[in-house]
Amino acid sequence: MGSCKTAATIVGALAFSLAGTTLALAGAETETVATTTTREAPVPSVSQDMLSGAATDTKNNLHTNLNYEQTRYYQGKQINKSNVGKLRPAWIFQTEVVESLETTPIVVDGVMYVTTSFNHVYAIDAKTGEQFWHYKHKMGPVTTYCCGPNNRGVAIYKDKVYMGTLDAKLVALDAKTGSLVWETQIADPELGYSETMAPTAVDGKILIGTNGGEYGIRGFVRAYDAETGKQVWNFHTIPENSVGVWATHDATGKDMHRDIEAEKAALKKLGDPYKTLGGGVWQNPAVDLEKKRIYFVVGNPSPDLDGSIRPGDNLYTDSLVAVDLNTGEYVCHFQYIAHDVWDLDSVSPPILVDVKNKDGKTVPGVIHAGKTGNVYVHNRDDCSLIRFSEAMVDQTGMWTLPTPEGAKMLPGANGGVEWSPMAVNPDLGLSYAVNLHQPMTYHVESSPYPGGKLWLGGAFKVIPGSEQFGNVTAVDYNTGKIKWQKKTPLPMMGGALATAGGLVFTGEGDGWFRAYDAESGDVLWSFFAGAASTHHLPPTRWTARSTSWSVRVVTPRSTSSVATTSSPSRPTDRVSA
Amino acid sequence: MFRISGWASIAVLFASALVIGGSAIAADDIEQKAQICATCHGADGVPINNTTPVIWGQDEGYLYLQLRDFQKGTRKSPLMEPIVADLEKQDMYDLAAYFTNKKWPNLGQPSAPSDVAAKAESAAKSIGCRGCHLDHFQGDGTTARLAGQWQEYLLSQMLAFRDGSRGNNPGMSDLMKATPKEDLEPLSKYLAGLQVDQYIGRGGR
Repeated sequence: MGSCKTAATIVGALAFSLAGTTLALAGAETETVATTTTREAPVPSVSQDMLSGAATDTKNNLHTNLNYEQTRYYQGKQINKSNVGKLRPAWIFQTEVVESLETTPIVVDGVMYVTTSFNHVYAIDAKTGEQFWHYKHKMGPVTTYCCGPNNRGVAIYKDKVYMGTLDAKLVALDAKTGSLVWETQIADPELGYSETMAPTAVDGKILIGTNGGEYGIRGFVRAYDAETGKQVWNFHTIPENSVGVWATHDATGKDMHRDIEAEKAALKKLGDPYKTLGGGVWQNPAVDLEKKRIYFVVGNPSPDLDGSIRPGDNLYTDSLVAVDLNTGEYVCHFQYIAHDVWDLDSVSPPILVDVKNKDGKTVPGVIHAGKTGNVYVHNRDDCSLIRFSEAMVDQTGMWTLPTPEGAKMLPGANGGVEWSPMAVNPDLGLSYAVNLHQPMTYHVESSPYPGGKLWLGGAFKVIPGSEQFGNVTAVDYNTGKIKWQKKTPLPMMGGALATAGGLVFTGEGDGWFRAYDAESGDVLWSFFAGAASTHHLPPTRWTARSTSWSVRVVTPRSTSSVATTSSPSRPTDRVSA
Repeated sequence: MFRISGWASIAVLFASALVIGGSAIAADDIEQKAQICATCHGADGVPINNTTPVIWGQDEGYLYLQLRDFQKGTRKSPLMEPIVADLEKQDMYDLAAYFTNKKWPNLGQPSAPSDVAAKAESAAKSIGCRGCHLDHFQGDGTTARLAGQWQEYLLSQMLAFRDGSRGNNPGMSDLMKATPKEDLEPLSKYLAGLQVDQYIGRGGR
């Protein structure tokens, strides 16, 4: 706690000088107790109707991506282009964990749920920043994860909140007190399974995928009973026949330089590699309540860079997949990159929105932003591709095959668009994505399945001294054209929020959190969160007791939640770099 | 953690005996088993030489996996293999828990000079060491703590991953192969010189 206190003092002092607001710090707690309840959280039971109506609910934020369609489009207009410049910090909450924060706060009736790395959960008063309770997951001895001890948030349903854990469990907590109600071991962490995504609650089920594409897992999406934690259904993201159609070109028509004959020979010799083929699911599925379907994207094949020992298209890696919500049965899929050897997979959560088809007719669509840097627009009925957008990043050399010495290709293996959720403004027909430009070389080395150990099949190397940057890009998903693009000094990861007030919020790696004009991309407001880091978190917005609030849990290694409010009676506070 | 007294300890031991079918080892047994470890890894956490790794305060999952791998033969060591040969899985968990709760010793290794540190930083950023070993190179779970480990041991292991003689983590082998050999010594010096007394980051456990 010594080092945490130091950090708290610095962050707290900053907030105080900004706005003279109260500062809430995590108090002294006994480390042996899993949950510390300061006082019960006055949270109502969250019904399915509330969850289903989240798209028009301007009072709460009930889903990680705001609603089942995952639009991240907030329909409130209280904060808008004309007054966004008056946003000021209202409070800062210091978490005990000093690590990356990738969580999206869930807010119900003024109670905010925030998770941290290493699976802590806080219930906080959204108005004041005061803590109701703090839960620390008792981590098992074995955790296997490649990409930070992150957590991306809770799901809420009735009187419980749900979280996946690094030791591959799903836990249900009492939303009022934070005490553990049940926990279920989802998979074996010794084999490379872990959980960082927020679950999705729907129709009494808790949906969750898995990490592990860097460890030779066999990926899945599962539904668990919200009351009991018992598994309802399982969908393997890797079917027993993973071979596919031997596609030689990607979704955008680029030649992937596959050696199909060599792959066929390998298939004959090795058999179908489905048992260790990876296919993690890192982010929430979108839910079509009417059709009772879910849409999610599946991550890379294992090992990442070595295709020689996993012949075939490696279905359903690097794909959009739809399954039946009630049964988990396969409905349709679309694969972006068959037999991926670059880890340029599919991570950013899909969004359900009406789109224009090739004939100009409006149809139910689903869109996804790839690590490739393209936005893909699909027909929701059969997952087929309607169009793809102009590239949002440099794709020079795509798809140069990895070599033992290392071959340069753009984008680097983080994208394009990483796990960062897009937002859309359906009135403007625009989607907003945050991108990275991070040149890398791709190296291949072959090794057999290592039984749950890191299995990259080579290495991705950031090229020392190469310029890196990012961008915020608005894409017209009805045409595929880029409407506007704003360059940022550092590569971007985290996500975006759009509002009916004509705004887009997102944050940057040097600590700046900004509001953009949704139509033009002009920066209308900036706030320096005081963090210097490379990851970003999606902002969330909610209303508590008639005041609009916008929150962004600021960047990792600063570990604070900052709330800002649009009270017109206070002057605008800005911090210059 | 193992100094549980009174009825609680009896209840815990009884429960664990049920779970693992009579092969439960009491805290005394762990102390006894740990004595063997102390011969090389040090009774005070400081190993007898700089090619023997610090295991006091090392990450629990990592310690468990190494014991498991020595037993399975995926990590080779003529010294360690006979020592772990008869361990039950629960013994390995218990030993890992025992040592992870000890305080990491200060080996008094110097901080790397700035030119060495800069070279190490560049190499670490290039292959993304912090992605798994975290910001302060303290690791977590099944990923090893590197900060403050013996420099000679660190270098020997990076080279062993690189040439495949340490074969229990092909991902590490790939990353070491992708790193120029001349970067490994600066990397080892940099990591060895990071003395971090507090376990930073994860909050109270």
